[in-house]
Amino acid sequence: MRRWLRGTFGLVATVALGFALATLAIGVVAFETTHEALELQLDHRIAIETQALIDEGQDGHEGVASAIRRREAASSTASLGYRLVDAANNPVAGALDAAVPAEPGYVELLPYKAGGEERIAQSLTTVLPGNYRLLVAADRAAIDEMDIRFIQLFLGAFGAMLLLGIAAAWLVAIVTRRRLARIDHTAAAIIDGDLSRRVPLSGSGDEFDSVAETLNLMLDRISGLMENLRQVSSDVAHDLRTPLTRLQNRLDEALRERDGTLQREAIEAAAGEAGELLEVFSALLRIAEVEGMAARAHFQTVDLSAVAADVADAFRPAMEGSGHQLVTSIMPGLTLSGDRRLLQQMLTNLLDNAAQHTPRGTTVRIAIESDRHGIRLAVTDDGPGVGEKDAPELFNRFARVDRSRSTPGHGLGLAMVAAIVAIHSGKAIIAPRPGFGVHVEL
Amino acid sequence: MRILIVEDDADTSQFIARGLAELGHQVVTSGDGRDGLFHATDGGFDAVVVDRMLPGLDGLALVKALRAAGNMTPVLMLTALSGIADRVDGLEGGADDYLVKPFAFTELAARIHALGRRPSTAAEPARLIAGDIELDLHRRTVSRAGRRIALQPREFTLLAELMRHPGRIMTRTMLLERVWDFDFDPKTNIVETHLSRLRSKLNAGFDSDPIETVRGAGYLIKDGG
Repeated sequence: MRRWLRGTFGLVATVALGFALATLAIGVVAFETTHEALELQLDHRIAIETQALIDEGQDGHEGVASAIRRREAASSTASLGYRLVDAANNPVAGALDAAVPAEPGYVELLPYKAGGEERIAQSLTTVLPGNYRLLVAADRAAIDEMDIRFIQLFLGAFGAMLLLGIAAAWLVAIVTRRRLARIDHTAAAIIDGDLSRRVPLSGSGDEFDSVAETLNLMLDRISGLMENLRQVSSDVAHDLRTPLTRLQNRLDEALRERDGTLQREAIEAAAGEAGELLEVFSALLRIAEVEGMAARAHFQTVDLSAVAADVADAFRPAMEGSGHQLVTSIMPGLTLSGDRRLLQQMLTNLLDNAAQHTPRGTTVRIAIESDRHGIRLAVTDDGPGVGEKDAPELFNRFARVDRSRSTPGHGLGLAMVAAIVAIHSGKAIIAPRPGFGVHVEL
Repeated sequence: MRILIVEDDADTSQFIARGLAELGHQVVTSGDGRDGLFHATDGGFDAVVVDRMLPGLDGLALVKALRAAGNMTPVLMLTALSGIADRVDGLEGGADDYLVKPFAFTELAARIHALGRRPSTAAEPARLIAGDIELDLHRRTVSRAGRRIALQPREFTLLAELMRHPGRIMTRTMLLERVWDFDFDPKTNIVETHLSRLRSKLNAGFDSDPIETVRGAGYLIKDGG
């Protein structure tokens, strides 16, 4: 019952019932008031008539009796009736067939007979000199008729209202349930494994649509993360198979080898492979950690200009040693809320890439400036660049332009850069050519 | 050196203990946080190697308790967590150095040796001397056999770091952490190129090289001579 009441139908029905009860109360009050007013009006009429009769028959009961007779003769309407009796209750005048009350005053419900029919009248009894009693009565049929009309009308309206209320409650419940059922079905389908399902929109832009839209955005985000996770797991499995196979081959070689020196060489090579695998795992874990966004809790104000200058400073000798030129154009004092080490690593990865994937004589440029959108950081070079097709892929794990492994690296550097940019709520794009460049907006 | 190893993974513990014993150190092992704290407080150790995650009492709490008791034995913390903020937590908690698993044994050994020589309580001297090289940390000057040598700021920091531990190996990652404040390893040979520049400046006009490259391990500056 409680559950039923809390449902949409219960709620709307309760409200409708409340309105109906209020209307009923208003109706009862209106009925009472009208009824009283009508009775009062009737009393008033009787009183005026009585007074008129007494005034007309100034010299006592004879005058009054003749006035009654005159009226009965003249009036065709039977709306008022008269009866004059003496002290012994003998009728003197008047055709009204009713017992005259012994006491003077108003009687609300006085039974009388008319045309052999029992009827009810409202009456006023007045005592005249000589203990004659004058009864003036008016039939209550008009009031009763009015009352019945009123009650009929009211009950009709009230019933219609009640019906409408219940119908509205039922309708609202059906509509709500149907709209919610769409969300419910979608959720059930997703639970059953169809992750591509989305809550359909009615297009009206109402509250249900806005909830559905938010839910759909949430589902998009979740499925993006799931897709990412799936991709990562399969990438990891795929890309680690090769080095693991190499490791196994080396160890097999070492087991078969009789010559001590060659065996040692094989073991050393195997240890090298294992070390490289561990490195890949560390890099993957670190990327996952950054993508988890937990480091945001430790964000502090970082002078990006100083960090970049330091990293450039660290790289310059090595880059010059490998025949590269490092040019910086760093606007000083640009700060942001972030993690200094991660920003260091981002710049390091970008410079590592430039140093390792461009030929001698290439100029590498670090530029940092700010505009009204924020800080713009770019690491660009005038090397051969990469194919347009490859460019967007490079932010993915294990993505490498050169699959032949003639250059060192695991294809994780730019994935780390992308993760670091994301945790700092920035955007990164790759300009494939001329020259290679990564542009970051923070 | 007398070294205490508090590590619950028996394999790792044995691997470290055997390696350190081969280098001529006396090693005591403990596999439990509370037991480890008891041993460490007992004193007499030159260095303590503590795993971050331990049964009984975790590594961070152990170091905090040790420091709270006024014990300043150098501590190297090991962790399997690569947490970016973890390193900071560990060092702020009172550990002197921090090493992420997996690590090469040479790396661990080099770090323990560097810890052993670190005067953990005394203030650092203003002048460092190794052989005929003198380095003044306040004036930021370097001279070899009385002859002034002009160095770039990073080269100066690099030399100072080597001279703080004369005769001890400083690994590539230790130098990256202490000189460049990098907690990751760039592929570009930053350390090597800086060292070669430092070397050429130090050795100009001399026929001996005070900096020794230890293959597969790191660098050291010769103590005396």
